Amino acid sequence: MLLRLKKFVFRKFKNSAIKHHELNYLFWECTTRCNLNCLHCGSDCSKSSSFQDMPMADFLNAIDTIEKPSQNLMVVFTGGEPLLRNDIEVCGKELRKRGIKWSIVSNGHLYSEQRHNSLLNAGMGALTISLDGLKDSHNWLRNKEKSFDKVISAVELAATSNRLNFDVVTCVNQRNLKELSQLRELLIRRGVKAWRLFTIIPIGRAVKNSELLLTDRQFLELMNFIAECRKSNKINVKFSCEGYVGRYEPLVRDSYFFCRAGINIGSVLIDGSISACPNIDRSFSQGNIYKDKLYEVWQNKFEPFRNRQWNKVGQCKTCKEYKDCQGNGFHNWNGDMKNVFVCHNKKIENSRKYLN
Amino acid sequence: MKRSWLKKIIGGLSLTSAMFVFQACYGTPQDFGLDLLIEGQVKAKTTGLPIKGIKVSVAQNMQYQITDENGNFSFYTEMMDKVKLEFADVDSVQNGTYANRDTVLTDLSEKVYLNILLENK
Repeated sequence: MLLRLKKFVFRKFKNSAIKHHELNYLFWECTTRCNLNCLHCGSDCSKSSSFQDMPMADFLNAIDTIEKPSQNLMVVFTGGEPLLRNDIEVCGKELRKRGIKWSIVSNGHLYSEQRHNSLLNAGMGALTISLDGLKDSHNWLRNKEKSFDKVISAVELAATSNRLNFDVVTCVNQRNLKELSQLRELLIRRGVKAWRLFTIIPIGRAVKNSELLLTDRQFLELMNFIAECRKSNKINVKFSCEGYVGRYEPLVRDSYFFCRAGINIGSVLIDGSISACPNIDRSFSQGNIYKDKLYEVWQNKFEPFRNRQWNKVGQCKTCKEYKDCQGNGFHNWNGDMKNVFVCHNKKIENSRKYLN
Repeated sequence: MKRSWLKKIIGGLSLTSAMFVFQACYGTPQDFGLDLLIEGQVKAKTTGLPIKGIKVSVAQNMQYQITDENGNFSFYTEMMDKVKLEFADVDSVQNGTYANRDTVLTDLSEKVYLNILLENK
């Protein structure tokens, strides 16, 4: 009864958030250059490095179309590897002058003591670093020897700052699944307070490597691992918002699933395209900063993100969970859009049936 | 720990405020921390001229900045009840030699501007 009430209230809240669609999280794909060559490249970022970095002034011009930035608006520098750019700090300071907070998603390789200092000086407030397992499995996924050591050094540095809201993310795959308990202990020892786990979806290079993808039973194992970890306060472990996980919703996250792509989350992509999260199929672009005003596009377009009835097709058409899931994370829609690419809830229910 | 409680409180206040407690799947956490911008200029007490190369650092913190050719510095740091700033001449005789100085800032707002005078050694 209480669960039903909670879900009802949350649906009302979602509808209100969709109606207001306040922009408070803006990705900037500031470069597609990268210093790594990960096995899963293209799964959660662009794999093309043929683009020139977008000039900072072009991005700031787009930002300046936002008449009254929300008090909570934050720009998230992503890539590629954002730290390959030398003007992140200058851009960050410009954003702070405009009352906008900012953060970085990094692979950690260039996160030196000097860079840590200059980024904090420029007002960086949050940071995410990827660590994908213990030494061998991390280096395997990142396709680079010694990557693990560099990332651990970056993690230790980031953990020294009380100012930063910092977390570590891990792409869970068949190689690192059994290491998660050890990895958790390692992170706790290094002073990490928050750890986010996600899975790799079969796009980009991940299509050709089945070892990167979890089976249904392994996915259930991951859910149980996260649920168990959350019983302790040593480190805040959670599942990312990549998908709806049905009965595990209250057990693996701080709040219920809500894909905010195009509702509160926007992006300026490397070619100037305006969209939501950078891992969303690029055919969903809603405009381009070189032709359109970013904020006008945000206010007046984004219909497919704010009314998702179009995705009530394929297995979602008759699904009883649709009103809470609404077609799963938006990035799970690509190609011919006739069916959702990954249904996390189905993976759970499939493996539960098997176990029963 | 403090931040975790803050998130819970913010999330629990109302549906409107809960709207902001989220992170995109492949993004970073939200920035809930408060900070302050400390700016200023370091000059020589005897001549009134700006001093380049002075290390301005926050005590018990890794953060620092070196003053530019106009003696200016500017950086964000964590908001605390009081912030102790240390000014140190770290470039030996280059740009002159000055005695180190500490300053404790209290009653802080979001932005602070400081005029610092250093005495010759």
